Amino acid sequence: MIESVLSVLSHHLKLVIRQLSAAELSELEELRIRQNRPLEIISRGRSRFLTADGTVTDEPGKAYHPTSEDCAKLLDLLTNHSVYSYEEELKRGFITISGGHRVGLAGRTVLEQGQVKLLREISSFNIRIARERTGCASQLLPLLSDARGGSILLVSPPQHGKTTMLRDLARSISGGYTCGQIRVPGRKVGIIDERSEIAACVKGVPTFDVGPRTDVLDHCPKAEGMMMMIRSMSPEVLIVDELGRDEDAAAVHEAIHAGIQVLATAHAASLGDIEKRPGLRTLYESRAFSRYIVLRKLQDKVRVAAAFDESGSALTLAAAAGTSGR
Amino acid sequence: MLNVLGAVLILFASTMFGFRQSLQLSRRPKQIRELIQALQRLETEIVYGFTPLSDALQSAGRPFSPAIAALFQEAAGRLESDQGRTAEECWARAVETVWADTSMKTGEREVLERLGCSLGISDRDDQQKHIRLAVTHLQAEEQKASTAQQKYAGMWKSLGLLAGALIVIIMV
Repeated sequence: MIESVLSVLSHHLKLVIRQLSAAELSELEELRIRQNRPLEIISRGRSRFLTADGTVTDEPGKAYHPTSEDCAKLLDLLTNHSVYSYEEELKRGFITISGGHRVGLAGRTVLEQGQVKLLREISSFNIRIARERTGCASQLLPLLSDARGGSILLVSPPQHGKTTMLRDLARSISGGYTCGQIRVPGRKVGIIDERSEIAACVKGVPTFDVGPRTDVLDHCPKAEGMMMMIRSMSPEVLIVDELGRDEDAAAVHEAIHAGIQVLATAHAASLGDIEKRPGLRTLYESRAFSRYIVLRKLQDKVRVAAAFDESGSALTLAAAAGTSGR
Repeated sequence: MLNVLGAVLILFASTMFGFRQSLQLSRRPKQIRELIQALQRLETEIVYGFTPLSDALQSAGRPFSPAIAALFQEAAGRLESDQGRTAEECWARAVETVWADTSMKTGEREVLERLGCSLGISDRDDQQKHIRLAVTHLQAEEQKASTAQQKYAGMWKSLGLLAGALIVIIMV
């Protein structure tokens, strides 16, 4: 997994990272490279710095400072030596590399008629390491059965495992799963993967296991993608990441009224935040989702912090699991 | 008898040397022209096709004579196979490898090496500017090479033979 990250780093940075122990490598969440500033790593939600000989420190002064050459090389290798063919990605500010890792970029923006045209002189890179956690969604499966085919919105702040969860849900639903005594057969799943994070497609083929009955629309805007999927691929379950805009909400409505179960995520800390976001509020008020699940990452494990039904009243988790066992 | 044989050999060798020089002179402008066309193809691939650099190089060099095609194939191959090397390094190595097989001189080589520094590392507008700049420089080199060819290509042919004759006469 980490190899695909190392393959885009300059020789020098590669040497520094390789000196980390296997345990530290396996816990690495983010690698932040800023030109002429300390090399930062984030693991287990904690930010620290890396020195040139690969030791982890809390003092930024001792850390290795990536050079302009390190950064130039990183950009060259990230874009497969062809920055010009990544203009769309540079406009959006991130590149997804093979393995599903997302590299966020910051630098000087170039504007055209007041709109961001692209990024130049890129000096900050944030490599978010994607991990496949097979089975992490098993705790959600009782809630899924409990919703009886109703749509579900997963809610958490960034970096709390929504996408990881969504990916594992796709795999379970598409392959079929056993919940309590009941065997639930696999269903057709359509993923609209706007940022190539759920399935991490490379040349259109998913690199993560998203299940045998899953189709992926890669790099496609969510609202448009949902409509395309419904028209062309007859999915029974639609999976989308990070709802927020008004057109997303309209497309979700469309899908739900077409009899499709929608599993989606949204950035929000609680159900209260959902009501405050205009795009999501309409969905909430029209009771489009029959379950809201709030996720929290605790000690590197994603947990269900709370669950709510369509009217926003809290479900006790035991009760939710209990009903499914009936 | 042996004298005659030696004289013939010297004459033959120096004539061939003259012919080779003249051939190099006439090949140079032709290769520069091809190089210009190949770079223009590369520009199209990059600006209109968004083609990744290795594929763009492959297809840009394909229709040309072996010397020019080899440069582009070599660079494309290195981009694919040399893990962790930048486009600039791959291009420089490709130029290094194939240069001896071409008839081109240092002027063109410098233009290509300068182009290598900016290959692939910027947006399309910028790439286009760099490629056009390289093409302009190459056109100037091509002018010089054509003049040199007209002036000296014929001269080298006769000079080789005459120099051979001179050596033979001196030795006799």
